[in-house]
Amino acid sequence: MHKALEGKPMSETDYQLRSFAPKVQEKVREYKIKFDPGNPIPSDNSLVDDIFQAGMELLIDVGAFCTDTGRVISFTEKEIKEALKNAPSKLHFGEGKDRKHLVARKPEDKTPPWCLLGAGGGPCSSDRSFLTLVEGYAEIPETNAITTPAITRVGGMRVRPASPLEVLAAQRNAVLAREACNRVGRQGIPIMNSLATAESDIAFAAALHPKFGMRQSDGYMICCMDPMKVDFARLNKVTVALSMGGAIGMCFGPMLGGYAGGPEGTAVSNVAHHMMGILTYQSSWLLPFTIHLRYVASSSRDMLWVISTMGQAISRNTHLLSLNLNYTTAGPCTPMCLYETSASVTAAVVSGLSIESLGVATNKHEDRTTPVEPRISAEVGHAVAGMKRSDANELVKKLLAKYESKLTGPPMGKSLYECWDADGRKPSKEYQGVIKRYKTEMARLGLELKPEMYR
Amino acid sequence: MSEDKILKNLQKAVLEYDSSAAKNAAKAAIAAKMDPLKAIEKGLVPSIETIGEKFEKMEIYLPELMLAADAMRSALVLLLPLIPKGSKGAKATVVIGTVQGDVHEIGKNIVSSMLMAGGFNVIDLGVDVKTITFVEEAKKANANIIGASALMSSTIGSQKDIIDLLVSQGSRKKHAVLVGGGPTTKEWAKEIGADGCGMTAVEAVKLAGKFAKGR
Repeated sequence: MHKALEGKPMSETDYQLRSFAPKVQEKVREYKIKFDPGNPIPSDNSLVDDIFQAGMELLIDVGAFCTDTGRVISFTEKEIKEALKNAPSKLHFGEGKDRKHLVARKPEDKTPPWCLLGAGGGPCSSDRSFLTLVEGYAEIPETNAITTPAITRVGGMRVRPASPLEVLAAQRNAVLAREACNRVGRQGIPIMNSLATAESDIAFAAALHPKFGMRQSDGYMICCMDPMKVDFARLNKVTVALSMGGAIGMCFGPMLGGYAGGPEGTAVSNVAHHMMGILTYQSSWLLPFTIHLRYVASSSRDMLWVISTMGQAISRNTHLLSLNLNYTTAGPCTPMCLYETSASVTAAVVSGLSIESLGVATNKHEDRTTPVEPRISAEVGHAVAGMKRSDANELVKKLLAKYESKLTGPPMGKSLYECWDADGRKPSKEYQGVIKRYKTEMARLGLELKPEMYR
Repeated sequence: MSEDKILKNLQKAVLEYDSSAAKNAAKAAIAAKMDPLKAIEKGLVPSIETIGEKFEKMEIYLPELMLAADAMRSALVLLLPLIPKGSKGAKATVVIGTVQGDVHEIGKNIVSSMLMAGGFNVIDLGVDVKTITFVEEAKKANANIIGASALMSSTIGSQKDIIDLLVSQGSRKKHAVLVGGGPTTKEWAKEIGADGCGMTAVEAVKLAGKFAKGR
């Protein structure tokens, strides 16, 4: 707080347009960082180490920014290195038999990624669809933790920001998430995007009362504003979560094409955000979710390069716990959606990251997601753990060939109840066919996935 | 300074994202008693259109788009008041902002800059804008269009509030309301009675063009 109150005064426009943006490009030029479309998953260690160094220098040079005080929050190299050294390399989440360890990974690591599975805060239309989805996520064998959808209505009324409706929706988010996990026998599983429905600090704090079911062993995700900006509402959430002993995960989404510019600057910015997260949010785990300005997704060629290079930069040079959240353009019940998430997850996992998966169909349409897409993401994540980056590079190029030309007009697929049997808790016959064909094709491309469990 | 030189300076200032050069070129145009409309249409507009096209192709990125729009704004502030009332000027005035309770600005900034590149007079109210402010500012500026951005599923309800307020004040017909941002969809726009939903910045500019002369 001292830095946010006493740092160098600056206007927000000057910070992002005249300090942050030119400095990112200066670092890209200085380190001669260059996106190579032919290698979306590069194996060049010196490239990613340069990206790491550029990211650290970016944070030293421009700092973070507090929009409420209009001050720059500066950090010295010593402070950053100390924070990186002291950050945890292992955290426990969950309870009972569902209590697991999130551990740091390295590029080409054989350790399976931590699988934070679900909707990534995507909107759902009703309590029924919320429960259907979370039950489905909790039943996925690879699920280490749940990322819930966001509730958009209470009692038929649409949620308004920082209103009693948002407070009630956030409380309902906590209650229903726990209820859904209880129903399928995974009582101890952690909810790690706590709380997706709570945009305001008041709703966040109100839903943390123990009677609504949130636990210290859940994960407390708090978002940062692009680029490297904080405000009092977010810092209030940090204060509340820390006071109850919760592990904070700062999520951040520097847009490709946004303030950091192209893929090179976006990778550098992502590295700087990791360090900014542990320093300003006291974040013990990190959640990058860069998306492409045009596609609002993370499956394009340049996006795969960003995920891979920033992942390698962080995992080679630190022991930070970092999970990449991916978005697809295509919707459920389409092969394209499954190919897109397979590519993004592969880029993340072989580069040393764990995963949060996923936002389907740009994560904007209510109920346009099912438990299938995160399950497939997790199966891919487990299957590619230990794969060489060069092999992964060839795999994602083959995947890109299948969908790259359709990113501007992707198929929206089907909505939840059109392709998911809620009573049987399984995909529709049609979707089962899509999955079967997808898995056959993945095997042909060289990646054997688990046999399908449905008949 | 010749008119040609002034026009070139105006063009260059926008293409080089240079606000002070744009201001100086506008002052030179005024000193030379140049038709302000000509300075805008032949000087500033071609360059900002080029910037908009480059941004669409991702040859340049958000900072360059915003800095170019800023340079154009610096010149417009000096030139627009000199245009006689009733003569042809900007396509229309758009009041734009991110709705109450929402501080996300990137999408709004892109649309704001692209509208300017498309020849609109843009009044950008910033983020976390109260419903009443959208309506009062639109009234004050006689804006044909209100653009309301929201990124969160918990904040898009405020887009409906703007329309409800306009209806209750009896001024719904005066302002087209266009919505956009992460969770907004065409279905949502229809549900709340908005005039359109821009799924991309380009679509938002096209929609604004449709309502430039009113609803």
